[in-house]
Amino acid sequence: MTYALALDALGDGTRREILERLRRGPRAVGELAAELPVSRPAVSQHLRVLKEAGLVTERRNGTRRLYRVDTDGLAEVRDYLESFWSDVLAAFEAAAEAEAEQEDE
Amino acid sequence: MTMQATETGAIRKSVTVPLPVEKAFRLFTDGINSWWPFASHSIGGDKVESVTFDLEGKRVYERHPDGTEHDWADIDAWEPPNRFLLNWRVNPAKPATEVEVQFTAEGDETRVDLEHRGWEKSGPDERSSYDSGWGFVLGKYAGSA
Repeated sequence: MTYALALDALGDGTRREILERLRRGPRAVGELAAELPVSRPAVSQHLRVLKEAGLVTERRNGTRRLYRVDTDGLAEVRDYLESFWSDVLAAFEAAAEAEAEQEDE
Repeated sequence: MTMQATETGAIRKSVTVPLPVEKAFRLFTDGINSWWPFASHSIGGDKVESVTFDLEGKRVYERHPDGTEHDWADIDAWEPPNRFLLNWRVNPAKPATEVEVQFTAEGDETRVDLEHRGWEKSGPDERSSYDSGWGFVLGKYAGSA
């Protein structure tokens, strides 16, 4: 389930920062590493996690590999949370209606 | 604590139930074991034996038959029968967020407003200057979905 992976991936401050940078435009690993206080291998590792979680995509541009935000992955995280609370409130509503009916009897 | 109505990314859900406000509040909290969809909406799934609003310990946790407990949240505000506020931290590895549930009497019925917010708050590493929080994740992109 992508949303679970995505939530886990977003639990890390550096990964959220990488996503924030990518939101401004596609970037290569080296560019991200130059802007952040983490090593290039560390950035690569974070990008791999983000990619597996469906939050970034990678595209080859000549000899460079550029990373960009995958908006579908982010939308899925939000959809998951929306449906989580919809399910919970629907269950609560059903229980409340059952209790109200019992009292009417 | 004031509501930040303009905060981006807050998830809001409402439902109106045919119970007076005291009963609605009690069913939601004390009675949570009778309705919460544990199988799909908990850490342990089918293994969950109970969920407790522990007012003394100011926390909400799930319990498994082997005695394992997993915290869901801290209880940051408790104002029966109108409102409670949780510091939602189901996964300790993720930044905590806020869940506020308000109960408003509407005649014989009760409107329940739930808001899950606080994505802007930084995680445990919030002192680091480069942590950007969750706001853009759930706010700015939601509109473009």
